[in-house]
Amino acid sequence: MAEEGRIHLALFKDVYPATMALDKLRELGIPEKDMTIVSGVPYSDRILGRPKYTTRLPRYSLVGFVGGFILSLLLNWGTPYLYPIHVGGQPIYPIPTTILLTFELSMLGLILFTFLGVLFESDFPSLGPKVYHPEISNGKVAVVFDCPPEIHTRVHESLAALGAEWVHRTEAKQL
Amino acid sequence: MQQADNPKWGMVIDLDRCTGCSACVTACSLENNVPIVGEEDAGYGRGMHWIRIERYWEGAYPNLTARFRPIMCQQCGNAPCEPVCPVFASYHSESEQLNVQVYNRCVGTRFCGNNCPYIARQFNWFGYAAMMPEPLNSQFNPDVTVRSRGVMEKCTFCIQRIRRGEETAKALGRPVLDGEVEPACAQACPSDAIYFGLLSDPQSTVSQLSRSPRSDVMLEDLGTSPRVIYLKAGSGAIQKEQP
Amino acid sequence: MTADAVPLSQPQVYDEEEDPRQHLMLDPRPREEMNSMVMEAMHTTTREYWIVVGVLTFLVVVCLFGAWGYMIATGMGVAGIRRPTMWGIFIANFVFWIGISHSGTFVSAILRVFKAEFRRPFTRAAELMTTFGLAAGVMYPLIHLGRVWVSYWIFPIPNQRQLWPNFHSPLVWDMLAITTYLLSSTIYLYMPLIPDVAMARDRSTGWRYKFYRLLALGWRGTENEWHNLRTGINIFAFAIIPVMFSVHTIVSWDFAVTQTPGWHSTIYGPFFIAGAIFSGVSAVTMILYLIRATMVNMKYFVREEHFDALGKLMLIFSFTWAYFYFNEYLVEWYGGDLAAKTVLKAFTQPPYGWVWYLMLFCNMAVPWLLLWNKRVRRTPWLMFVIGFLINIGMYAERFIIVPTEISTNRFPFQWGDYYPRIELLISIGSISLFLLLYAVASRLIPLIPVWEVQEGQLAHSLKRFGKHEVATKSELE
Repeated sequence: MAEEGRIHLALFKDVYPATMALDKLRELGIPEKDMTIVSGVPYSDRILGRPKYTTRLPRYSLVGFVGGFILSLLLNWGTPYLYPIHVGGQPIYPIPTTILLTFELSMLGLILFTFLGVLFESDFPSLGPKVYHPEISNGKVAVVFDCPPEIHTRVHESLAALGAEWVHRTEAKQL
Repeated sequence: MQQADNPKWGMVIDLDRCTGCSACVTACSLENNVPIVGEEDAGYGRGMHWIRIERYWEGAYPNLTARFRPIMCQQCGNAPCEPVCPVFASYHSESEQLNVQVYNRCVGTRFCGNNCPYIARQFNWFGYAAMMPEPLNSQFNPDVTVRSRGVMEKCTFCIQRIRRGEETAKALGRPVLDGEVEPACAQACPSDAIYFGLLSDPQSTVSQLSRSPRSDVMLEDLGTSPRVIYLKAGSGAIQKEQP
Repeated sequence: MTADAVPLSQPQVYDEEEDPRQHLMLDPRPREEMNSMVMEAMHTTTREYWIVVGVLTFLVVVCLFGAWGYMIATGMGVAGIRRPTMWGIFIANFVFWIGISHSGTFVSAILRVFKAEFRRPFTRAAELMTTFGLAAGVMYPLIHLGRVWVSYWIFPIPNQRQLWPNFHSPLVWDMLAITTYLLSSTIYLYMPLIPDVAMARDRSTGWRYKFYRLLALGWRGTENEWHNLRTGINIFAFAIIPVMFSVHTIVSWDFAVTQTPGWHSTIYGPFFIAGAIFSGVSAVTMILYLIRATMVNMKYFVREEHFDALGKLMLIFSFTWAYFYFNEYLVEWYGGDLAAKTVLKAFTQPPYGWVWYLMLFCNMAVPWLLLWNKRVRRTPWLMFVIGFLINIGMYAERFIIVPTEISTNRFPFQWGDYYPRIELLISIGSISLFLLLYAVASRLIPLIPVWEVQEGQLAHSLKRFGKHEVATKSELE
């Protein structure tokens, strides 16, 4: 989004007027990437009328899985190679225990990296000032958009006409 | 003559000769610093003896027979106690073909004790060795570790005597002679029921006895391939004297 | 015939059919109101609450840490374990807590994957049980060690002796599996918690505000954030199910890979998992009753329908458990070797016979006689009692498996009975720790995932179908 002073937030009671507000903003020439919906419950792309979102999260999971897999190979085969100790008549590199360890460590990698992926992709933790309104967690749906100053008043009027409870230019505040 | 590369030590116990006198138990305890646990703990099943003499009664009075079987760690070839130790405190020594217990590595999970099918392992529930009253603690064998609490222990085939025998033989430039290495139990047995030697040498006493038709191992079907071979006893029934 | 949507303000009840507004999903309230209900529940602490917390803290300090410290200082001998039962109540407790910890994953992962809507209000309560059950359970592999001060040798940490742990050992698999599961379930508790903690942040001041602000990581609810969170939760839900299965299977392999007659059974894997989910779901029922009884406003969120659904699950898992147990028993009784059959005989005789019968009664008789009845299932206090009895029965099962089955082995000369000593104190301590953690968490984080409840309520509506209103669920995802 653009520099400070151009961000506006419009608060709606429900998701349907919010989607109509998005249409209105598109009409007024604001590009898709400059607007977003902020809500207290998740709404899918189709409900919001937004372009399909492709997530990069599975890539993180895959990287984690492969990382865990490699670690398990090192532990399963690397450590007995470095210091072979015979136990119970079992081979030094037995296959059944290899399968076990590989599974556990690969899943550990997958899980940790999925979580880290969620954090990275959402830029968490970010404890600095943000554009937000506390009513969002009360179930209201907000439309946050970047508005060029020329059409500022027109935008405010149309959104108010659609039923917005609150439309203002917003400063980023500490959450 | 070259010593076999990996000598396989083994023991033969002749159950016909065993009288159940427990001299082997005593000798083993003294040789290997096995602590005394006291009456109460021993009664609760925490006795630390590395050998136990199992006595079973057969028949009914007056045709009663007592069967004795000394049981110690069988030094299995495929020991079930080895793979379950999480820290490799119990593993298979390739050079002596024995199951060794590393006291200073044991963390005390007692998994090996549970998995031994012969129930041959003991655990130091308290610091028994440190609790031994004076002057009993002066009798400890300096060749053998005194174990702290929290570690497992078991019969080692008197590995300190095996090592001493091997080193003496090597210093004299000859292989270990049959009968030269004798664990404490074999040394103490008054009826010579316990034989010890190299199973890898086909001419040794234990090898010849193991080929006897009386030879038997315990729990063979478990596939543990134990190194302790028992010679089955005869009927041993006490006959009432004929007038 | 056209289907009209009936406005929810005029519910129509048909004969003795229940009022559809009894269902949480069909009884929506404004999000603001639900938020304040949850916040109020979190902020309300009565005098009884503080007394309970005080008693639990005392028990944890004295029974858990005090008794455990005494055992570390004196030796394992103060416990009742002996030869041949070298594992006793400590390991039975360990298996029990890991079993309880399967509750959360079952509710929040498996029910989520199957889109069972009734899970929505109590996923967090169940996930807290998982995390705290693991916290209590993970102490036991340390408690039962003879030399706990060198327990770090079980971990693969590079060291100067160049020694690594033995990856052939089931205890090392335990270490890896439980670490994986503990991390996964903590993260899986945390991820859906973020939007609720953000809600709490918006409504708090003082130290709570600082705490929630840190925990919320700056969450706002933008589309991007929701996409990432939803995708993350979905991946987790699918990934944590095999992890959950593997954890308790690996715990079962602590026993099944041994040579001990009675333990050496191939069915232990699925048997333990069925038992774990069984005891876990029963424990969730218990906790839900306690939450309803001790916290304000919870009766709106946790309703009879949830106890009904959980009761059905308990009955199903009781059958599953009984199926696996009978499998194991029949096979050993019929063609098992002498050692295995001797173990079976030991179950019915003193000193442990009463434990075995208690297990059969609590795990089979109690659910089968009571849980088929809808009225019973919809009575929360009765479900609490049934859940409690089932957990007693499942604990008896773990006691039967661990010390009883190793007390009867292949050498009658070495049979030995197990009598617990300090284990009882330490067990009391760990239960107190679990309850204390739960009590503290219930006032620190919102127990109900309000965003999930609202999400479900948005998707449900009443629709007239013929002469009757039916609940419909829309696929909003």
